Amino acid sequence: MKKLTTNEQASPSVDRRSFLRAAAGGGLAVATLPTLIDSFSVQALAGGDPRLQQLLEDQDRVLVLIQMAGGNDGLNTVIPHSDRLYYERRPTIAIAKNKTLRLTDTLGWHPAMAGFRSLYDEGKLAVVQGVTYPNPDRSHFRGTDIWLTATDADVFGSTGWVGRYLHTLAPSYPTELPAHPLAVQIGNATSLALLGSAGPMGISFRDPDEFYRLVNGGGGSGEVPSSEQSDTPAGREITFMRNIARSADVYANVVKQANDKSGASSVQFPASDIGAKLKVVSQLIAGGLRSRIYLISWANNNFDTHASQTSTDDPTLGVHANLLRELSEAVTAFMQEMKNRGHADRVAGMTFSEFGRRVYENGSVGTDHGTAAPLFVFGAQVEGGRVHGADPDLVNLDPIGDLLMQHDYRDVYASVLLQWFGVQDTMARQLLFRDFGKGAPALFKKATTRVEESDARQAFVRIGPNPATDVVVVQVNVDAQTDATLVLSDIRGMECRSARVEPWTGVGRLELTGLPAGTYIVTLHAGRSIAHTTIQITR
Amino acid sequence: MADLRERTRPLTLDEAFHLVRRMTLQPTYALAAGVVGKRPSEAVAALLDAPEAPFPSPMWALQTPNITDFNEAYRLFIEMQNWWLGRVLTVTSPRERLIMLWHNTFTSDYLNVYVSHWMVAQHQMLRTHAYDYSEISRRIVGDAAMLRYLNGDQSIKGRANENFAREWFELFSLGVGNYSEPDVLEAARAFTGWRISGLVGTYNRQLADLGEKTILGQTGPWEWKDVIDITLRQPACARFIARKLLRSYVEHEPSAETIEDVAKLLRSSDYKIRPVLLTLLSSEYFFTPNLRGALIKSPLELVVGLASALNVATVSRQYVSQVMTRLTQEPFYPPTVEGWKGHHAWITSSTFPQRQRFGESFVDGRQIGSSSKLTDDAGRTIVPDVIAFMKQFPDANDAEKIVSSVAQALLAVPITKEQHDVLLEIMLAGAQKYEWDINSAAAVQRARFLIQAIARMPEFQLM
Repeated sequence: MKKLTTNEQASPSVDRRSFLRAAAGGGLAVATLPTLIDSFSVQALAGGDPRLQQLLEDQDRVLVLIQMAGGNDGLNTVIPHSDRLYYERRPTIAIAKNKTLRLTDTLGWHPAMAGFRSLYDEGKLAVVQGVTYPNPDRSHFRGTDIWLTATDADVFGSTGWVGRYLHTLAPSYPTELPAHPLAVQIGNATSLALLGSAGPMGISFRDPDEFYRLVNGGGGSGEVPSSEQSDTPAGREITFMRNIARSADVYANVVKQANDKSGASSVQFPASDIGAKLKVVSQLIAGGLRSRIYLISWANNNFDTHASQTSTDDPTLGVHANLLRELSEAVTAFMQEMKNRGHADRVAGMTFSEFGRRVYENGSVGTDHGTAAPLFVFGAQVEGGRVHGADPDLVNLDPIGDLLMQHDYRDVYASVLLQWFGVQDTMARQLLFRDFGKGAPALFKKATTRVEESDARQAFVRIGPNPATDVVVVQVNVDAQTDATLVLSDIRGMECRSARVEPWTGVGRLELTGLPAGTYIVTLHAGRSIAHTTIQITR
Repeated sequence: MADLRERTRPLTLDEAFHLVRRMTLQPTYALAAGVVGKRPSEAVAALLDAPEAPFPSPMWALQTPNITDFNEAYRLFIEMQNWWLGRVLTVTSPRERLIMLWHNTFTSDYLNVYVSHWMVAQHQMLRTHAYDYSEISRRIVGDAAMLRYLNGDQSIKGRANENFAREWFELFSLGVGNYSEPDVLEAARAFTGWRISGLVGTYNRQLADLGEKTILGQTGPWEWKDVIDITLRQPACARFIARKLLRSYVEHEPSAETIEDVAKLLRSSDYKIRPVLLTLLSSEYFFTPNLRGALIKSPLELVVGLASALNVATVSRQYVSQVMTRLTQEPFYPPTVEGWKGHHAWITSSTFPQRQRFGESFVDGRQIGSSSKLTDDAGRTIVPDVIAFMKQFPDANDAEKIVSSVAQALLAVPITKEQHDVLLEIMLAGAQKYEWDINSAAAVQRARFLIQAIARMPEFQLM
């Protein structure tokens, strides 16, 4: 496709059958089309039109990863209050059923998680039970590395799963830097999750203004050129640092602009560290930063509650309760802010922690390192209000006496890649080093389907009028025996209208009354083939 | 395989700089020049055996802890940081750098420990026994700060707390893959029986689990000391410590063969560190040219290194502490029990520009990225004397040569001809080479330009 207005001139002489023939002959690009259009994977759609490119980019999906570092005690987060064993194994720290907040008939939220409960009840938060991996490692550091690299327990990976995904979006990173950072970590560290084979695929900073000042505040009296790249230990470190310095240079302005543009938050974020970090994330998103991934974490291994996990006289209070409250309140504020700013449909989040904790409490009002635990996925487009998996089984345990796996954590990552980012099956397998089959739980609405994308010039014979007001007539180039449908979506990918294509004429009519003015996407579905074009509606 | 044969050729200035950069926190020109021409083993021994001034604990740290509120606890955190920073800013001894290796192995942080008295006591234990891993291992079990940090003081016979036992194997002695989950559970039983009393941990056999246990394949009624002995006999233990020494002193990813060679040294020295360092740091391997600059400076090494180069040991301790904190190495506050990850983890899009701003501001006598002046602890302004710094080199009045000398002193990797020319141009700032006069007033700003430009280079972060 060249320009939005060229459809009227598309050659009517193209053989109607060519569209399908080409599809059968493998002449069509195979692409995955997320329900929401992804500016990287469907850049062809924009066809160099900067306005459409911008519209597409504005709709890019965002994932916020929240790391509950230290090993969150899942059993005291999503509480199996109907299981008598829970109370027997945890005489001091168990939370009474009547203190929990209702989740299901058999499960209750920790009383500090009123916000999560509301999100769940509104259908915006899903619980995935029993997440871990085979032969779980009970070391913080191995456990964390395994989660971040998405490898088997006995594999020592050197790149992160997020970094590998982002590298597919920008294969020549860091030689060519995209206009906006692909990922942002709030804090001074860079997570292994963001590491690609060419170094960190994202940037990190605590505060956008400070970041800008630091990068631009040099007393500059000239830069010294790099020494020639050499494949020595020192040479590799110099290259490593130069790349990081360059991404900081390039992105400090972009980040500051987004932060300046966002204006004041519409909600009050909690004063906790995690609340402040999510506030920064919300401002960057609202200000137009087009990063795909934001990563935040508690500063230390805060969830490592070996001792004094709860207060001794009231197990609903104490360190763990405070941490869960921080999480619940911060996420609730963040979700509200995203809704108020009109980004709710393109932002989702996920929590994770390196492991859950032992079923038995220890002698210090705490819990030691365990295995499986629940994680949470939240967002307006999350298939929320659901608990994936059964309640934890406190009878059948592993040889050490820990909870058994229900979901491999990489299946959850697969859901994110496939359903949220619209990554192709084969690509997701490559990124996660694994065949997850049907293991990926349905965590997001509108799961994407794999289709073969066609060249729009062959598919659409005529589309008009364009711009249109009440009705648009679309003539397509489809074999008469094929069922063909036209779907009209707005630029966010939300379906607005659909119409059948008449078999012999190849004509379909889309009613436009009631739709606001703007750019719309017309999608032709014919068998397993698909093609897009756009129209303007004026009012 | 690492060539651990002794290198006998007298040290050149480049080699001398390499040695003092890796051995001390204050790799000054004076220190390096002092060992030029010596045999490497002589130089290493001279540095290791140099007399050390005593370092008494603060008076308050020797009294029974009585911390009533957080403000009091916090005041002591700061005092402790200042106390230690005063030491590393003023004393050259290799021990100071080695202590950091142990502190980053047997971690404890002031906030979780809360009682700074115990943190000071732990630091002094690591100091006293810095050259004996075996002794540190034995003493860390009942160290009050460690008992609090990893809940050893709350571990009860019958309901043992696994925290210390797990980290003992994983982070203090063997590393992942060299012990099993049951070893952790059994060792946790053996580590019961400890409580804190005043400033120290006390072991009470009545509270300890004296039952039979199988640890690393050996069965018996093991107590805490037995766990240490059994662990230290594992070949994996010597390898684990060898890797840490190599990462600290030589290169970040040593080969398995090199690790094995150093592990052998450790085993034959019974985990005494001095003989291992003596062999390692005077070996052909250590002086392999392309290992120069292979390590990334920690914030401590960056800050103390520059302060010592410019001879401003009196710089405000709290300022140094703040800089280290911004660069993610707050004194006495490792982020997790794994310690600071180091190397690449030091450098991010956020910390790298901060490192550059720190360096160039410091040269000017300013605080990081601001116009506030550098001061000492009494609030007196400090202006690094860049002319005195440059005058210690021969031929300070020769523009070409002084650029080379300053680069050699401040950078662990040699500069290229092109870099040299640009640095010279930056220093001269429009003047001609023959106009360079170290004694003229115009030289001050030009000297600063030169050092600042070097401090901005990625190469400056290497050691």
